Amino acid sequence: MSDFSEELIRPKTEDDQEESCLFSGTGMSFPWLQKHIGTVATGGKKEKDFAQTTNACLSFIQEALLKHQWQQAAEFMHSYFQILEDSDSHKRQAAPEIIWKLGSEILFYHPKSNVETFNTFADRMKNIGVLNYLKISLQHALYLLHHGMLEDANRNLSHAETWRYGEKSSSQEVLINLIQAYKGLLQYYTWSKKKMELSTLDEDDYAYNTASQNMLNHSWKTSVNLCALIQTPGVWDPFVKSYVEMLEFYGDQDGAREVLTNYAYDEKFPSNPNAHIYLYNFLKREKAPREKLISVLKILYQIVPSHKLMLEFHRLLRKSEKEDHHKLGLEVLFGVLDFAGCTKNITAWKYLAKYLRQTLMGNHLAWVQEEWNSRKNWWPGFHFSSFWAKGDWKEDKALACEKALVAGILLGKEREINLFSVDYLGCENSALCHRRWVC
Amino acid sequence: MDFPSSLQPTLFMTGPLGLSNVPDMSFMCSWRDALTLPESLPENFKNEAPHLATGLLWEPETPGPLPLLPPGPDPWDPGVTAQDLLFRGAFPFRRRPQAVLDVTEQLSRFLWDHGDIAFAPLGKLMLENFKLEGARSRSKKKTVVSVKSLLQDLGGHQPWGCPWAFLSYRQRRFSIIGGPVLGKSVASLLGELLHEELAMRWEQLLLDDAFTGGALAWVPGRTPQVGQLVYPAGGALDTLCFQEVRLPPGGHPQALGDPGHIQLRGPVRQVVTRTVQGESLLAVRSDYHCALWKVSKQGRAAPLQVLQVGKGATGISLSPHLPGELAVCSRSGAVCLWTPQDGLQQVYKDPETLVFCDPSPWRWADFTAHPRVLTVGDRTGVKIVDTQGPPGCGLLLFRGGAEASCRRGERVLLTQYLGECGPEPQLPTLHLICTQFSLYLVDERLPLVPMLKWEHNLPSAPLWARLLPPPCPGCPRPLLLGGQGGHLQLLHLAGEGASAPRLAGPPQSLPSSSDSLSAFPLLEPKSQWRLQERLKAPTIGLAATIPSSASEPVLSLFQLSAAGDVFHQHLHLQADPGPHSRAPTASWTPQATACCSRWLKALLDVPPTPPVWAAPTFSHRRLLGCMEQRKVEQKGPEGLRAAMAAGRLLRQKDVGSPPSAGPPPAPEPGPEDELSARLEAAWQGRMAAWWERQQGRSSGPGRQPKRRKRRTQLSSTFSSLSGRLDLSDATSPPHSPDRASPEARPRPPVTPPSQESTQELWARGVPSERQQTLRDYMARLPLRGDAPRGVRSPLSGTSSVRATRSRPQTLQDGAAELPPRRNTRRGAAVSSSQTSSVRATASRQQALRKKPRMGF
Repeated sequence: MSDFSEELIRPKTEDDQEESCLFSGTGMSFPWLQKHIGTVATGGKKEKDFAQTTNACLSFIQEALLKHQWQQAAEFMHSYFQILEDSDSHKRQAAPEIIWKLGSEILFYHPKSNVETFNTFADRMKNIGVLNYLKISLQHALYLLHHGMLEDANRNLSHAETWRYGEKSSSQEVLINLIQAYKGLLQYYTWSKKKMELSTLDEDDYAYNTASQNMLNHSWKTSVNLCALIQTPGVWDPFVKSYVEMLEFYGDQDGAREVLTNYAYDEKFPSNPNAHIYLYNFLKREKAPREKLISVLKILYQIVPSHKLMLEFHRLLRKSEKEDHHKLGLEVLFGVLDFAGCTKNITAWKYLAKYLRQTLMGNHLAWVQEEWNSRKNWWPGFHFSSFWAKGDWKEDKALACEKALVAGILLGKEREINLFSVDYLGCENSALCHRRWVC
Repeated sequence: MDFPSSLQPTLFMTGPLGLSNVPDMSFMCSWRDALTLPESLPENFKNEAPHLATGLLWEPETPGPLPLLPPGPDPWDPGVTAQDLLFRGAFPFRRRPQAVLDVTEQLSRFLWDHGDIAFAPLGKLMLENFKLEGARSRSKKKTVVSVKSLLQDLGGHQPWGCPWAFLSYRQRRFSIIGGPVLGKSVASLLGELLHEELAMRWEQLLLDDAFTGGALAWVPGRTPQVGQLVYPAGGALDTLCFQEVRLPPGGHPQALGDPGHIQLRGPVRQVVTRTVQGESLLAVRSDYHCALWKVSKQGRAAPLQVLQVGKGATGISLSPHLPGELAVCSRSGAVCLWTPQDGLQQVYKDPETLVFCDPSPWRWADFTAHPRVLTVGDRTGVKIVDTQGPPGCGLLLFRGGAEASCRRGERVLLTQYLGECGPEPQLPTLHLICTQFSLYLVDERLPLVPMLKWEHNLPSAPLWARLLPPPCPGCPRPLLLGGQGGHLQLLHLAGEGASAPRLAGPPQSLPSSSDSLSAFPLLEPKSQWRLQERLKAPTIGLAATIPSSASEPVLSLFQLSAAGDVFHQHLHLQADPGPHSRAPTASWTPQATACCSRWLKALLDVPPTPPVWAAPTFSHRRLLGCMEQRKVEQKGPEGLRAAMAAGRLLRQKDVGSPPSAGPPPAPEPGPEDELSARLEAAWQGRMAAWWERQQGRSSGPGRQPKRRKRRTQLSSTFSSLSGRLDLSDATSPPHSPDRASPEARPRPPVTPPSQESTQELWARGVPSERQQTLRDYMARLPLRGDAPRGVRSPLSGTSSVRATRSRPQTLQDGAAELPPRRNTRRGAAVSSSQTSSVRATASRQQALRKKPRMGF
């Protein structure tokens, strides 16, 4: 902690961060402005040789990294450490972070580097820039995790967890929460491993009891670790998932529901589709009433109308007794097929063809018209063009048939024959028989 | 569609840009992104080897790109640089260097170069108060000033302001009385406009967003090996070219035949192509027009529709879903959906920026996975807008703020929809957003939270991005990012369907055209410099393709430069070179260097650009005296110019009749001639006689030279500032040597006549970048009604300068033995004081001939 006192005296100001980026009159910053100014400013005091060489060295390293010349980059890195002795305290303070970023990148890819080298480097760097301790610890743990060294990663995170520096700032707090959450995730891995073991054991066995006791302990620790982070707004899918799994395992359904509801509906959180999907899956497992499931999926429908769960949503709506649910069911199907990634979804087309018929049978022509009105000027070109007709017919006859049916219902006879003349060669029988049935 | 079942942990913070105490969760390391958390049980995870392909590398075949097409016939000039605009004073070294626009110098240069434009209207107003010619005014009116005497005093002034220069009383009086009028009107009217113009140019130099999206496009042909490059050519970039290119497997691309041309009426800024449902479409954006072509299977382009955008178009994009549908956005903040059949449909309009206030009028629009939903972007963020929903509403897809942990001053430079048409679109919901620092991938289903962030650190503005199909099944997709300075970065993008997008392997940089310099033979400095400038020309377009049939994945990359050159490079995918192999270094092949040499030869055959501007020489006196004679004398300079343009000798008949006033003045015998006389005598063997003569002379008028010398000194001291008649060219202001008078330079014969004719008469000879200033300025003139006349007349004044200026030159040619400068100056000094009563219209040859003698 060599820079300890200095950093205490002079906390980072905004000015420090701005140093490298330059602003124009519009408030936009231009990283390349320095180059322009450099060509003009001839007089005056120049940058010191020291600064010049370190800057040059930095750009050499970056260039070597982008050319995948890891060895060269490592050699340059060797010289770059001089920045730690820069007389400019601004630069000296920013240096550890840059060194860590570049150094870890080099060591990650360098053919001769191994985990030990990386560990040594990370441990040194943690203590050079005090403020980066948590960040580096976390990344170090991730590196170990990536290399399958869960134990080491866990130890690392435990060290970092207890680390405190100065007054606890909000950014420090978030980082500590994150570190704890990762630790919790590691514990979850161990837990789920134990669970696997447990499932192989006999319930009457003595070993079963100790194992389950073990698991219980783990669960408790993990919940403590994960709890704090998932209150903070963010995307915490892996943490939430594992936490809920553990809560469910121990029968704390209410706790799990609360966590998931909070994750899905808290307005401070980003509208993460996964949050709703997790909640839906949980409710499904819980055998929640259909109304409840529909209400969850309704929100997901508003966020991601193209999601594959929408077909399930449609099925739920179809089964519902309410009339507006039936209407929504039609809307959902149209909505799915609006998206470029779903045009070949044969299930959706099948559902639509069937449901259109059903709707028309139920004398709800207005619903179809309402949906069709906003689509009639682009669906023909988007779905029913002769290009797609030819392609679909060649690749997937079943899909072509379904599309032909829908087109027939929506477009009327003339257009259908026009656009789908090719299809009609093949699915004449089925399509025509349906048409007769519809009209 | 599948949504990634588990996303990377990300902190979500709302707030403005550069929020300081947010821990930046994207640690900028490419490897961090590769560390996906194990989803399944740890057992499976443990067995998994590090799945990051460290050896994923597109290896360039040559160290730099090669020219694909011969250079165009138009010369190219880099235009305004930072040196032209910035204050060059000695700055003390500061932590945060600042750019200071040098308005003063620009204004003074403008006044010098175009004084006629700056002052003529004022002069017209003050015409009554000036007496332009003739003898000294006899009138008692105090308000009338004789210009001739004033200019005589001014004659010796050095343009860059000699602090020790002599000021006559007349001058002093005039500047005290006239200064406020002259200074105020010029400074207030012109200075403001000039400052505006300079600020605009500087902004443009920092970021020229006109070419956002790129003006180069690849239209695939019938076979994977053949395609067309579509790009603008010509000095004004107003010719749209269609160049057929063959990509032989394993070989370099070849241009097939000459390109097809379409002449447009404005510069092409953006060229977009897409093949939707088997139909190839080509959209072109110019400053105020957009146009749509349909490209047939044979590669012929048929125009569909042209759209005029009153406020100026900033972006155009073609729908990947429906053939012939486009999104166009304009500077006014409007975004329109455009189809040739149904015309325009305004989708969104907001002159304000989305997230916070930013003055840039730049707007961008692109499509999304839903054919009726567009993204609308500006410098501060990107919004998703439903064209069928109520106007003005929509969700923010990207916010310049703490959500994406943006830095202070970070702005969106490019947004692009990465999904494409096709039966099985990959990444159908991803959008690329580039700022000057980072690249973000945002999924439209999870707005505001970037799925991937990578700090690209490009040294120039990233304005082009191309996502290519995977080179082999299961390979990550190459994403090319191009900077304005020609910098290229290639990212390997993996993850689709149920997994979140991530970088597979570290990004790599690709050679830019300035790396090709080593392929060219060494040249003499001037040509070398020209070549360097040409290779350094900013990039304005990027196109890339992966011919699918090749056995080994090959990436062909084309870059268009602002000089109109198309460079290409060829990259091979090096799948997994093993852990210990070094990154290989490419070298130049003989074919490559031969190609470069051929191109260079063609480049050097193109005559260089005429100088954008040149300082006029400073000589007013002749202007007055010879006003009447200019009609007669015009033949001389014209002949001279013609001769210089043709590069031949100037003959007597070109000049017209020689000065008829008599024989040239005889050489003046002087002390300098002693040597030649002695030598002459020695050669003739009459040395002794010469000596005698010399002896005799020194005893007689021996004191004369001394006195003469003293007098010379005196007169030169007192009248060093008074005008010289015939030395204008020799003692012209100490500009740098290449700033010779524009008249003396041959007009390049290569200047396309069309370009010349399109310029208004008054604008001729005015540097193009200043024409707008002039236009604005003239629009504010009180003489608005007859502005063209009011401007043309001063120019005709300059033409008289031209006519008269070269006259003494021809004179001097004739009188080559005129005494050296010192004598003439002395003579001029005397004449200025003595001949003031002589009418200026008197024959100047006579005055010239007389002067030396009068000096004695």
